[in-house]
Amino acid sequence: MIVHHPSEATLAAYAAGTLPEALALVAASHLGHCATCRDTLSTLEATGGALLEDLPPVPLSIDALDRLLGRMDQPAPPPLPILNPELPAPLNRVALGRWWPVGLGIRYRPLKSSGAAWGGLVLAQPGRSFPRHGHKGREMTCVLSGAFADQDGKFAAGDLSEPAADHDEPPVVIGAQPCLCIIASEGMHLRGLLGWAQRMIGR
Amino acid sequence: MTKTAPPEGSPDYAALIQSIAQRQDRQAFADLFAHFAPRVKAWMLRGGVNPTAAEELAQETMLSVWRKAHLFDPERAGASTWIFTIARNLRIDTVRRERHPSDLMPDPSEEPDAPVQADRMIAMSQQETRIRSALSLLPPEQSEVIRKAFFEDKVHAEIEKELGIPLGTVKSRLRLAITRLRAALGDLA
Repeated sequence: MIVHHPSEATLAAYAAGTLPEALALVAASHLGHCATCRDTLSTLEATGGALLEDLPPVPLSIDALDRLLGRMDQPAPPPLPILNPELPAPLNRVALGRWWPVGLGIRYRPLKSSGAAWGGLVLAQPGRSFPRHGHKGREMTCVLSGAFADQDGKFAAGDLSEPAADHDEPPVVIGAQPCLCIIASEGMHLRGLLGWAQRMIGR
Repeated sequence: MTKTAPPEGSPDYAALIQSIAQRQDRQAFADLFAHFAPRVKAWMLRGGVNPTAAEELAQETMLSVWRKAHLFDPERAGASTWIFTIARNLRIDTVRRERHPSDLMPDPSEEPDAPVQADRMIAMSQQETRIRSALSLLPPEQSEVIRKAFFEDKVHAEIEKELGIPLGTVKSRLRLAITRLRAALGDLA
């Protein structure tokens, strides 16, 4: 059962299309698990539709429709291929780098996405702590499998952590299974070994 | 499914999209284009896109409507909502060179039929009508943050600076507005 959700502000940014791609992928991983947030998202997207409907129209050039009619027989671009069948949608279609060991029992696999935020997968073994984050800008983590705990409680598959302030205590993997998460952040740089790996990888 | 008639006087845009899907209806497309392309262009301009690019993005949005009409499911989204999400994703792609995760999701047609919950099977055109009326009833300060969040390609921290109110206030106004919008759909959902 999902306990930890993204904020309404985050869902609004996702619906409006202003959340940077890496953060949006973390939010999407939560949405795949959470009917409540999908429902809020559908209200927000309907809000986008209603706002669009109410906008005073700005005319296009006179021949805009004719020019478009000439292009309508061209085939649609093919759907993006599945690159990572082991991961849930939408992560199965994103390009990922290789796994990097970034400490004892912790591995990191960066998203090859450009944009205002960076992110990747983190796999941590039972009992290990996730690297500490220095929170500048937004940061989000969604658990894909296993579980971790921090001062905000326990996070299991589908739970999304969006800490408001600096975490004093790093999250620790709980239970007997390794914990796989998708993380993303803007502006923030990781400390310690993961920070070193981040700089080596170039993001 | 019970079909609810669209509001009086407004054409049934969902039916136009379906007739594109069913029989490549070019007249239906021309009607949709006349209504939505100038609104999509207006939305792009509000988001800071230059006029040439806004015109192109409006055309690309309508081209996607033509190509993706078979994926439109009137039980899941109203016509304006569906077209809004297409325009949004194209704006992200063009302006930021990023992708929205919904562009990475499988087409509904390649998924095993996900059951639509009975209580979700409502006429989405009705949902859009209710949202529009709820939007017009929002207190001005809540309406302002919602409009800024959707119209201007800005992160909430920029809205904070622009309105000169703390980020926490931006977020709490958004939360209150979303609660009201959801409540407007309360007895529908």
